[in-house]
Amino acid sequence: MQVNFSVNGRMESVDVEPRCTLADALREDLGLTGTHLGCEHGVCGACTIMVDGQPTRACLMFAVQADGCSITTVEGLQNDDGKLHALQQSFCDRHGLQCGFCTPGMLMTAMDLLHREVEPSRERIREEMSGNICRCTGYVGIVDAVEEAARTLNSADPTD
Amino acid sequence: MTGSDSTSGSVGRTVARKEDWRLVTGRGNYVSDLELPRMRHVAFLRSPYGHARIQNVDASAADAAPWVDAVFTGLTPAIAAVELRALSALPSYIETAQPILARDKARFAGEPVAAVVAADRYRAEDALELIDVDYDPLPATVTAWEKPEVPVHDGAPDNVLLERAFEAGDVDEAFATSAVVVERELITNRHAGNPMECRAGVALWAKGENKLTLWSGTQVPHLVRNMLAELLGLPESNVRVIAPDVGGGFGTKAVLYPEDVALCIMARELRGVPLKWVEDRAEHLQAAAHARDHRYLMKVGFSAQGKITAVQADVTCNIGAYSVYPWTAGIEPLMAGGLLTGPYMVDNYRCVTRGVTTNTAYAGPYRGVARPATVFAMETMLNLGAAELGLSDLDIRRLNLIPEDAIPYRMPSRLVDDSGWYGRALEGCVEAIDYDGFLVEQKRRAEHGEEPIGIGFACYNELTGLGRAAAAGPRMPFRTGHDACTVKVEADGSVTVMSGVTSQGQGLETTMAQVVADAVGVTYDAVNVRIGDTNEALWGFGAFSSRQAVIGGGAAHTSGVALREQILELAAAVYEVSASELRLVDGRFLMPGVEQPLGTLADVARIAYMESNRLPEGFEPGLQVTRFYDPVRGAFSAGAQAAVIEIDTVSGELTILKWVCVEDAGRVINPQIVDGQIAGSIAQGIGGAMYEHLVYDESGNLSTGTLLDYLMPTSAEIPELSIGHLSKPADNPLGVRGVGEGGTLGPNAVLAGALHNALGVELTRLPITPARLWEALR
Repeated sequence: MQVNFSVNGRMESVDVEPRCTLADALREDLGLTGTHLGCEHGVCGACTIMVDGQPTRACLMFAVQADGCSITTVEGLQNDDGKLHALQQSFCDRHGLQCGFCTPGMLMTAMDLLHREVEPSRERIREEMSGNICRCTGYVGIVDAVEEAARTLNSADPTD
Repeated sequence: MTGSDSTSGSVGRTVARKEDWRLVTGRGNYVSDLELPRMRHVAFLRSPYGHARIQNVDASAADAAPWVDAVFTGLTPAIAAVELRALSALPSYIETAQPILARDKARFAGEPVAAVVAADRYRAEDALELIDVDYDPLPATVTAWEKPEVPVHDGAPDNVLLERAFEAGDVDEAFATSAVVVERELITNRHAGNPMECRAGVALWAKGENKLTLWSGTQVPHLVRNMLAELLGLPESNVRVIAPDVGGGFGTKAVLYPEDVALCIMARELRGVPLKWVEDRAEHLQAAAHARDHRYLMKVGFSAQGKITAVQADVTCNIGAYSVYPWTAGIEPLMAGGLLTGPYMVDNYRCVTRGVTTNTAYAGPYRGVARPATVFAMETMLNLGAAELGLSDLDIRRLNLIPEDAIPYRMPSRLVDDSGWYGRALEGCVEAIDYDGFLVEQKRRAEHGEEPIGIGFACYNELTGLGRAAAAGPRMPFRTGHDACTVKVEADGSVTVMSGVTSQGQGLETTMAQVVADAVGVTYDAVNVRIGDTNEALWGFGAFSSRQAVIGGGAAHTSGVALREQILELAAAVYEVSASELRLVDGRFLMPGVEQPLGTLADVARIAYMESNRLPEGFEPGLQVTRFYDPVRGAFSAGAQAAVIEIDTVSGELTILKWVCVEDAGRVINPQIVDGQIAGSIAQGIGGAMYEHLVYDESGNLSTGTLLDYLMPTSAEIPELSIGHLSKPADNPLGVRGVGEGGTLGPNAVLAGALHNALGVELTRLPITPARLWEALR
């Protein structure tokens, strides 16, 4: 089936079987391998992407369901000038990743949180990020990173 | 220190990790991301029975399906010709023959029985449904301390694959004269490394020659190359193993699995066609290596003052269906017997430890190997002894820890401890957790009838960076004490490191660059590190036993130092100065008393490679050094953890209020990475203590086969962690101690101890779940 959606601001058209997951269409058909598959049953959160502004498990959605949607993946996080998004930078600075496999999903979930809450407490961050599993960091660096990104975003010049 | 001339210095600092940019932008290069022309996909059919005779496998319908490229079963000659036999010279050891695909019998639920190659994974899985396997179920054994009705392997009628005894001093005499003797049965829960990236491989057998390339998420590429060459009858140089970015390992990926070998054999049958297998989580939970399914029958004696008089243990480790390749069924039982007494002075020790095969997934290496269980056993016995003697949990530890003046201390298992900083680690925890404040609050709550709190401690020694004298592995036919590293200056003056270390998140590209930058005398940014490719590094055993900072780091350092000497000799001849006075700092040549640098490494490198006409007499072109390093002995890392917990006596819920850890990593190469290793390993330990449990029913079905049943801790469960450091330099060129595993050793003991301290409740069977706690409270 022909499916059309926009990914990271670019219109894409893929020809997929109805059973093809959105995660597989992004990874296999569009080569956007930044979206990772950790469990393929909706628990680990590694495949979290934004679909029409909502954090979504790409492993639990069929590609055909995304027809007409606007999708953002980790590949779309950087600024146009190539500068890292505040979250990407804080994950690097605060050791919010080790193996990096859960990181794309963590970044997307954190972005959703920071869209909704400008100054989440550490407790809130822990609660909101609890749908994403990281096996490496013990979460300390991740909570640090989200907290720092919130600060960066809050102090950023809005005209920048 | 034979270290660096560099004044700025990279070692000891937190630097931007070389790995991070590609990983945070979605441009990592994991095996599952690999796409090659004409690639085909593999799916495995797995046994739904824990134990069953395989009467027949009818793959004709799958074979005939037009969308299927090939089907393989245990009877396919190329598959049947190979089996995995983990070897060990241990006297009582019984080998197991692990088929690549099960042939006569399936020995655990999830064992691969057939494989299909198709254009994509969806079609490959479609074809699995067309394969008809005729199983004749057999009674399954899932508990290692129960007698089997039908043995798992004919060669081991009682299912025992190996047994070893440790004996030191006079245990019977010591018990007879003890003031208190405590006995308990303690059982730990089966769980697993469960990295976020499951296993994955891409195998390509060259069309026109016998050359195999395997991209694999393995922790041990050189070992895999060596084993594949032997199993497949290839010269070693015709096998290339590449481990690109790997999404976590934790020991699970230090195994050569039958699926890996199947992939390579199938690639040989389909020459020129790259075959890709990406495991899903359900497969991973069923069929990747498990760990920690142990029983300890403990008996510990104490003097009236609280000194340990003797330790006796009967240890049974459930090693699952096969003796894991190449580490053997001995990996957990021998580690358990060897390190059970931990950081405590014990003169009289008797231990019988055995590995028992059952109809469950085989046990393999998992971060901390056996010691999360042995520390739980030992620390629980200390708490019980203290309670009987009217001592505090803290006092009994202070009395029995190996003191600094006893170093080197020969443990009753004859391992030699070089640390002795256990008291310091424990006192660091006592301070960080505010023990006195805790006591006041505990008393206050008791007086006011508020929810109880408790404190738990764990002290442990982590044996890291094992050299040839005490190498990891139970008398296997190889010794893992050394690694190689090549360091070279390129023609542009940049430095390239080709190291035998591998990384599954530990940031080895970064730490090797830091070590080499200082050893050579260049900036961190000038160093490029290439790891995980057997065609680049000469040799490395890979990631296990907390060995890479010590051994791989040692090799990187010694190669770098030797390269600096080579560089300085050439530069001194070029600049006509004395080599002994010349220094290389941040890539510039400096002479004492001369303000301006004489030149840069790039200048000299250009001469070494591009302008042989300018090479001084007696110098060969090129600047490159390869060195092996073996620390011969290991480096013990001292560690202690403590936590304060609160119990909801109505629901049985346990809340962690505070968690502290003090650990000795020796000289720290990168503080942020070391802290990350400790925090991550504590979180895994907490997961194992409270949530993660692989449960089999009586017929050998895994009843926790998804992440909905197998609970991994999230940011909501793991508390804030306070990590403190000691830095006793170890006896190796960098002074480092391994730090990758220690954090996992504490949580079982800390949480069980805190529970005992809070309520006097004993949980002798892990994990500590609200249901078990609630029951214990009734």
